[in-house]
Amino acid sequence: MRDRYLKYSLLLPAFVIVMATTFYPLAYSFVTSLREWKLARHRTPQGFVGLQNYAQAFSDETFLEALATTAIFVVASVVLTVVLSVLLALLLRRTGRLHTFTRIIIILPFAMSPALIGVSYRFMFNPEFGVLAKGIGALVPALDGVAWLATPTLAMTVLVLTDVWHWTPYMTFLCLGGLASIPRSTEEAAQIDGASSLRVFFDILLPQMRNVVLVVAVLKTIFALKMFDQVVTLTGGGPGRSTETLAYFVFNIGFKWYDMGYASALAYILTGIMMIVSIWYVRLLLADRKMATA
Amino acid sequence: MRFASTLIATLAAAAFSHGANAGSLSDGKPFAGTTVKVLAVKSSQFEAHEARLADFTEKTGIKVVYNYVPFPNMREALTAEMVGGTGDVDVVSVMDQWVAGMQMLLSPIDKGVAARKIDLANYPKAHLDQGRLNGALVGLPVRGHIQLLFYRKDLLEKHGLKAPQTWADVVAVSKVLRDKEGIAGIALPYGKLNGQNLMVWYNLLWGQGGSLFDAAGKPIFNSDAGIAATKDYIGFLTQEKITPSGAAGFVEQDAVNSFKQGNSAMVPVWWWVRSQLTDPKQSKLTDAQIGFAALPSYKDKGNTTYTNTWIFGINDRSKRKDAAMEFLTWLSQPALEKEVLLDTKQNEVVAVQFSNLRDAAVNARWGGMHMAAAKALETAPAIKYGEDWPKIVEVLENMMSGLAAGTKTDVKAALDAAAADIAKMRK
Repeated sequence: MRDRYLKYSLLLPAFVIVMATTFYPLAYSFVTSLREWKLARHRTPQGFVGLQNYAQAFSDETFLEALATTAIFVVASVVLTVVLSVLLALLLRRTGRLHTFTRIIIILPFAMSPALIGVSYRFMFNPEFGVLAKGIGALVPALDGVAWLATPTLAMTVLVLTDVWHWTPYMTFLCLGGLASIPRSTEEAAQIDGASSLRVFFDILLPQMRNVVLVVAVLKTIFALKMFDQVVTLTGGGPGRSTETLAYFVFNIGFKWYDMGYASALAYILTGIMMIVSIWYVRLLLADRKMATA
Repeated sequence: MRFASTLIATLAAAAFSHGANAGSLSDGKPFAGTTVKVLAVKSSQFEAHEARLADFTEKTGIKVVYNYVPFPNMREALTAEMVGGTGDVDVVSVMDQWVAGMQMLLSPIDKGVAARKIDLANYPKAHLDQGRLNGALVGLPVRGHIQLLFYRKDLLEKHGLKAPQTWADVVAVSKVLRDKEGIAGIALPYGKLNGQNLMVWYNLLWGQGGSLFDAAGKPIFNSDAGIAATKDYIGFLTQEKITPSGAAGFVEQDAVNSFKQGNSAMVPVWWWVRSQLTDPKQSKLTDAQIGFAALPSYKDKGNTTYTNTWIFGINDRSKRKDAAMEFLTWLSQPALEKEVLLDTKQNEVVAVQFSNLRDAAVNARWGGMHMAAAKALETAPAIKYGEDWPKIVEVLENMMSGLAAGTKTDVKAALDAAAADIAKMRK
């Protein structure tokens, strides 16, 4: 009997902390999303407006633009990160001093703060004195003096590249873990049978890495949907609105425009998108497991 | 030559200078033993005030504690205090553009100012008006900036050029220096960051006789004057090609860096940047290479400047408002501002009181820069910021950034679209 209560009392502190730091803010922001709250005029939320804040989002062209920009960013960022992570994992799975050393230092970009990455890359892409802008200009003279962050396509490209640079190391380690769990014997058998490296990769390694790749993809999608820091410090959402992501848009509505009700509704829409994507990925994972069981 | 110009500036300053009345602190130290807490943006000027607090404590018995927040986080810190604060902070520093949005945070101080006889006439209207909200005074200006045109005096002299007085002069001078020295004429910011790409444009708009809004608050920056001003501003980048090649993505600091690194011959920017321009840790330039002038205008039009003001106000939830008002009275003393300006251990240029802007000693130390500021501030227009200002800035800076980046090419259409967006928001 005492044991029965003991386990609950041991769980209680964690439960209280999670409720206070996660569930309460989530519930409060959901209620706020249904209310009118212009912070410049009222310290506390005002009357309920039903789903008006949600309806406003879908008639707000700026929100739809931010949604489209986020979609472009997510697709480019996820595809590039996943492909590079798998390729790097294949390169780094070998043993040896050089590979071990590379595995250690490759994690460094992931250790950097995203805001700092944005600031650093902003300097590096400065067309007057940026080391990357100057380096690219030296290699490809046609690109010398190009204003990287002042052209919509190039600014988005730089934003995607900084994000891929940041996340690829971590995702590479996840892929390395996945590769380590694949028995070498099947690969060796295929090689003995004369299969090419490409064949081995596509027919043996990749199918067995499917679950890991899906996990990498779902994690990267969620992180990409939340992209904020680098937008603030690298592009400021510009030029124009060309790199304004949803998270940045929500921040502006809430903390610059002080429209907390609308900002809360937008945040829930963003959360809804993340949940849909996550559920879709999980279903893919489960479907794969069912097939394996069958 | 330098001595002569300094002497002239000093004499002129002495002629125009007038004694300002210092606000009077309460007799008998009625708030002795109280602690006033200040939430201030990180700034060397405010640190200089903090270093002189012993004087205030000695006179009033009030202890003051400063809590600094870096500029990028200041608005969030004030917002948190406004929404969830318990009144633990008594005095807050607020930037002009945020004042209307912070109306729940700030308490009226008219009675305290009148009771302590603080001389409001000593403040330029452009600064003082930023402390007014719904007819009440909610803060006193403590930090304020005007724009100046900094230029490479050595290069202009080398080619027999004079400091530009008009925007047409800017183009002409820039082209000579671009062609003969191989550097950009003028570093301008066209990228997005807190409306920085609008701050020079406002002056072109005013110079053309235009305005952002009419008396009823309707956007009129898409008038003929606005179109001409915008075409000129964008034209510096796209047609005249007198700006650095990457200026379309520049924010203010990029423009300043371009000047400091010797890549641009001129930069129109806040006067406080002056100390950075010759700091050997960050600049290739020396004092002898740099000159300054009022911001250019159009021919036969007066000079203008966009201003930036930080007010100090009292937290509406403060439980020590009287002691906080006592602190504001001390902070508004012209003698305190002057002492910081003349402190040779510091490099603090910022002043917001006419008596100091026109002061002979101040102008002698800073080469007449403050007299130029006083002149500009006598007629400087003050933008009336409403609570919707952040939205307005966002619409305008996106428009300007789009025009600079080439995603928008029709200036009139871009201005009309921005005006329509803002009119819709204001309904």
